Amino acid sequence: MSTLNIGGSQLDASWFLLLGAVLFTIGAAGVLVRKNPLVILICIELMLNAVNLTLITFARQLQNLEGQLFALMAMTVAAAEAVVGLAILVDIFHTRDVEDVDDLSELKG
Amino acid sequence: MSTSQLAIAILLLPAAGAIVLAGRGWRMPRIVTQIVGPGVVWAAFACTLALFLGNASGDFTYWTWIKSGSLNVPFNLLVDHLSIFMCLVITGVGGLIITYSVGYMAHEDGPSYARFFTYMDVFVFSMLLLVLAGNFVFLVVGWAMVGLSSYLLIGFWYQRRSAVLAARKAFVMNVIGDVGMILGTFVLFVTYHAITYTSVFRAVGGAISCTRLVCPPVGDTSTLEFAAFLLLVGAVTKSAQLPLHTWLPDAMEGPTPVSALIHAATMVTAGVYLVARMHPIYDIATYAHDAVAIIGAVTALFAATIAIVQTDIKRVLAYSTMSQIGYMFLAVGIGAYSAGLFHLLSHAFFKALLFMAAGNVIHAMHDEQDMRKYGGLWRQLRPTSIMFLVGCLSLVGVIPFVGFFSKEQILGLAFSRPGTLGLVVWGVGALTALLTGFYTGRMWWLSFAGKPSPQRPVEHPHEAPMVMLVPVAILAVLAVIGGFIQTRALGVGPSAVSDFLASSVGRVSWDDTTAAVVVGLVTMVVAAALFVAAMRMRPWSARFPWAQRLLEHKYYFDEMYAAAFVRPMDAIAGFGDRDIERPLINGAVMETGIATSAGAAGLSLTQSGYFRNYVLVFVGGAVVAVIVILIRANS
Repeated sequence: MSTLNIGGSQLDASWFLLLGAVLFTIGAAGVLVRKNPLVILICIELMLNAVNLTLITFARQLQNLEGQLFALMAMTVAAAEAVVGLAILVDIFHTRDVEDVDDLSELKG
Repeated sequence: MSTSQLAIAILLLPAAGAIVLAGRGWRMPRIVTQIVGPGVVWAAFACTLALFLGNASGDFTYWTWIKSGSLNVPFNLLVDHLSIFMCLVITGVGGLIITYSVGYMAHEDGPSYARFFTYMDVFVFSMLLLVLAGNFVFLVVGWAMVGLSSYLLIGFWYQRRSAVLAARKAFVMNVIGDVGMILGTFVLFVTYHAITYTSVFRAVGGAISCTRLVCPPVGDTSTLEFAAFLLLVGAVTKSAQLPLHTWLPDAMEGPTPVSALIHAATMVTAGVYLVARMHPIYDIATYAHDAVAIIGAVTALFAATIAIVQTDIKRVLAYSTMSQIGYMFLAVGIGAYSAGLFHLLSHAFFKALLFMAAGNVIHAMHDEQDMRKYGGLWRQLRPTSIMFLVGCLSLVGVIPFVGFFSKEQILGLAFSRPGTLGLVVWGVGALTALLTGFYTGRMWWLSFAGKPSPQRPVEHPHEAPMVMLVPVAILAVLAVIGGFIQTRALGVGPSAVSDFLASSVGRVSWDDTTAAVVVGLVTMVVAAALFVAAMRMRPWSARFPWAQRLLEHKYYFDEMYAAAFVRPMDAIAGFGDRDIERPLINGAVMETGIATSAGAAGLSLTQSGYFRNYVLVFVGGAVVAVIVILIRANS
């Protein structure tokens, strides 16, 4: 079964998967190329949600609730990650004004 | 005290003295060292005397040292007439020599002074353990420990390079002997599964009853021969016999009392004791037994010839010691055990006397040992000169000094022994006796007679203090009268030493003929004549420069060993160091370190510190993982 019944209309599952892949790629590209730490955090959120979308799609397609449960888990982890990430950023902003993550390279080997 | 307590007290007293001196000696006033050092040895002498007078004997087990399966090593002391005899020599002569050292070593500073007496007490303890041990394990322990104390004492003046080298040489040579000893013990243990003397000798078979000069042949003796030859390696090394003798002359680098005690009177005679103690084995192992006699005879002659050309007074005495121990080996080798041990006793008297008198001379001459630079000491050092003369005459074997009776007995027994071996060793021994007369005379006239040498370091030498003269005088008296306890070699008089030792090593069959006595007396007279003739004899060697060179190089033994063992070993060690150790082993270790360090430096470049680099690697890894999974899923 490759079509999903969404609100009465039949939609091919591959559209949802494609959307997830595009969102993930945008997020990954954002993490790689953007320099502002806040934007990078947002991009990470984007990647996580793209994965969530994929999980739910497969859950619906396979009639299996495990995927939805996993998506809920991922949201919880994402929330925790956002808290930790933002806390670190706030702490860094307390000591200095960072606009570029490349300024944070003290751990260079 | 009971016999067993006395026996262990003999051992423990010197050990306690050594421990006290080693621990606190150098912090206490010098007088404590002077009392404790010789005192414990005299106390041990008193205990030995008590055993001797009580006519004690027995085999006392104090505790079990090792117990493992069928191996049971007890700590037992065998007290019999042989061990009491040896203990009397060691503690008696040892006590005199250590008392003498109180004066001789007086110039040493506090710590060195205490160290010297510590080593001396350790030596006395080790030597007593060697002769009192009742089993092979403790025999080996004592054997190795006398080697150690000898090493420590030869190298006593460790600031001198020559002393350290001599000590090392002595130690290495002695270890060769120790290995022989230990292997011999192994052979006996594997064969008889016994470790104590009593059980081994019982297993060897009724040989203890075989006490005459010649034993009847018994079955297959190859194992016993093997063990006897291995034990002989130990005996030959410790007693500085051919061909493992080269350490003894060098050992004269040690202080003179050490030369007197260890390298003349006691330790070097351990080989003689060993053969006598193992006589049940040697009585059966006839080839090894004959080898003992031949080695002894050859060494006696060999060393006497070298002594003729030596110029260092202590080296003359060292070679004469080798020569006299050769006589002892000759004696025990032909089965005349008590004759060999009597010579051991008389040699301990007169050679300790000679060494200590020489020590007085060296002391007076401010450590000059070259006899050519003495001359005319007779007028200035009268007491020492007289005592040295007594020692010389005893060494030459002039009647009535102790050396005459012991040497005459050995030569007489060899002469009257049936078979050619006896005659051959007698001939060599008699020739050696003549040479002894000559080199002793040369030493005496060169040092004490004539005019003072122009090179003499001290114009008006001072006689030694009383503490150094009295022990020498006691030995001089013993050398004069000692012979009368056993004059039986002349056919008349007592034979106290042989009778005393008969229970341990068997009786001597006194069947030496008038001919032997006459021959012995003739030998003595000629030797004495040579002693006198040495005064005026022109240096004969000038006519035979090759012989002079041969003797001065001591038959090139050191050179041969250097060429055969030392230099090849050095070459191998050098090769290993230069071509294996440094490039391969050291190289491998160093290269591993360098490679690790370089690798780490390279890898640390990946730690750029830039967030996006890490993410890129992370994402790239994820992409690769996904691709791999997809490929695997499709295939």
